[in-house]
Amino acid sequence: MSSRARRDRWSAAGLAVVAAAYLFQARRYPVDTLVTPGPGLFPLLIGGALFVIALWQLATAARAEQVAGGRVDPGPGSRRAPLILSVVLLLYVIALPRLGFVVTSFALVLVASRLMGATGWWRPALLALGITLASRIVFVTWLGVPLP
Amino acid sequence: MTDLFVALTPANLAACFTGAVLGTVVGVLPGLGPAGAMALVLPLTIKLGPTAGLIMLAGIYYGSMYGGSTTSILVNVPGEAASVVTTIDGYRLARRGRAGAALAVAAIASFVAGTFSVIALQLLAPSVARAALAFGPAEYFAFALLGVALLANLTGGSRAKSLGMVVAGVMLSTVGMDPLGGSVRFTFDVGGAQAGLSFIAVTAGLFGVAEVLSSMADLASTLAVAGVRLRELYPNREELRRSVAPMLRGSVLGFLVGLIPGPAATIASFVSYGVEQKVSRYRHELGTGAIEGVAGPEAANNAAVGGGMIPLLALGLPFTPSTAVLLSGMLLMNVTPGPFLLRDNPQVFWGVIGSFYVGNVMLLLLNLPLVGLFARVATIPARYLMPGVLVLCAVAAYSDNNNVFDVWVMVGAGIVGWAMRGLGYNPAPLVLGLVLGPLLERSLVQALTIARGDVRGLVASVPAAIMLSAAVLAFVAPVISALARNGRGAHSPDPR
Repeated sequence: MSSRARRDRWSAAGLAVVAAAYLFQARRYPVDTLVTPGPGLFPLLIGGALFVIALWQLATAARAEQVAGGRVDPGPGSRRAPLILSVVLLLYVIALPRLGFVVTSFALVLVASRLMGATGWWRPALLALGITLASRIVFVTWLGVPLP
Repeated sequence: MTDLFVALTPANLAACFTGAVLGTVVGVLPGLGPAGAMALVLPLTIKLGPTAGLIMLAGIYYGSMYGGSTTSILVNVPGEAASVVTTIDGYRLARRGRAGAALAVAAIASFVAGTFSVIALQLLAPSVARAALAFGPAEYFAFALLGVALLANLTGGSRAKSLGMVVAGVMLSTVGMDPLGGSVRFTFDVGGAQAGLSFIAVTAGLFGVAEVLSSMADLASTLAVAGVRLRELYPNREELRRSVAPMLRGSVLGFLVGLIPGPAATIASFVSYGVEQKVSRYRHELGTGAIEGVAGPEAANNAAVGGGMIPLLALGLPFTPSTAVLLSGMLLMNVTPGPFLLRDNPQVFWGVIGSFYVGNVMLLLLNLPLVGLFARVATIPARYLMPGVLVLCAVAAYSDNNNVFDVWVMVGAGIVGWAMRGLGYNPAPLVLGLVLGPLLERSLVQALTIARGDVRGLVASVPAAIMLSAAVLAFVAPVISALARNGRGAHSPDPR
């Protein structure tokens, strides 16, 4: 089975689950009548459309599997670094309201530049300091954006 | 019309210059596109006020089209999708020692096409806006639906995936307050969600954070850029003569393609190249380093920017991610694009159009002597550029509503966007669905209410009936054609 077709099938199934969950939640909102449509009408139409499209994708992926036979697509490149950076970004948002913009952004740039291949600590630290201070001066001092 | 000269005030000239330079840099850098860059500088532009702010945003948009050709020609790496086709002949010209001539022709073609499209925009936009005054909710619903249908067909790749992304974007637009009744939907009592998902946060995530995550797979690659001396930047007489017709053809084609929903600049450049392959006297040289392969596509992708501004300015409908960011910027600056823009904010309308003229001259003057400098930007390692993009994304997301919920949305959109790229989903239709969603819902509900619940009210007028029929055709035709292909495949004998 082609790994691409398999990925397509799983992503289509995921989309169908999202559409079903959305439709389930949309039931809570009144549809009312077509003369005075309620807040539930449009979500119902959109959720239904997404569900049908997801089924179409599933059918397309199934056909592609038959055509592709036993071919195996080359897998994507290393996912380790992007996954670690994703976790770092989630920690960044958790820490942002508690530690403030300067401390969290300094840490984010420092860790991100190291993950992207910067060597040593001095250069990443200087980069982090420069970006953080420049952002603070431009956005907080100059433009008055009330960053945490 | 005298409001055109608003673009010449010092503040607006400075905004135009900054936008043009930023746009050129964004165009040169592979990865971060104009939509993402425009979203990142939105907090800055809001502080500048509507006219200067929108002039800067527009400058980034068309400046990126200029910059995109630089790395296409010098290193065979397109800075923008719209410059992919320029690599074919541009890079071969560079290898033959004609990099300077190719860069100069690209800049001149961009200038000619940019100027042509702004003249056409200036002439056409007020007429379209006046015609749009007769549009009611049914016509707007039909037009927006047609836009969504065409987007799904023209984005490239799988139609089912593109359509799924547009509808998913519309679905996300229903989070928060409903546009007519004021009911709160899909918020799950999360603080900050009542205002809906911030468009800026989603765009910064999908185009900024996702780009950073995707680029981590290819961090080792650095670009080596050949130097170009100023005296080499002169095309010879023969090259100039051969460039004129493709430039003009590309300008007209690009403008027309720009009116169609979808990645107009990219499509325009490919259409222009295809036309040159058919009609050029030197078509046999295309693919081996012909100047026509640079002049036509570069003119087309710049002209498409002007064409794409018509639906935005005259109807308030954005059909590309970049014009969607412009729309978002306008709304944040309390400027409503559409038929009443010209009446209510003439200075903004004509100021932005006037800035296109000024910006094109600035870009020509900047790009010719400084092309080597801009090309060097592409050699800065990602490990020094990308962390800064992450911080800018966070600032852009937070400053939209001054709450951390939007930063969560930005990070979520970034991670989902990275996964989407891996699975072959294009994020552009999702962003456009997010923008068009409230308009679709509002116009559908209003049209049904006006027609007292009779769905025939959606096709009561001739324009609405034509556009709705075209939309249905655009949705159904690919499915029928796929079914027909499968049917033929099932009945045809095995070629083996």
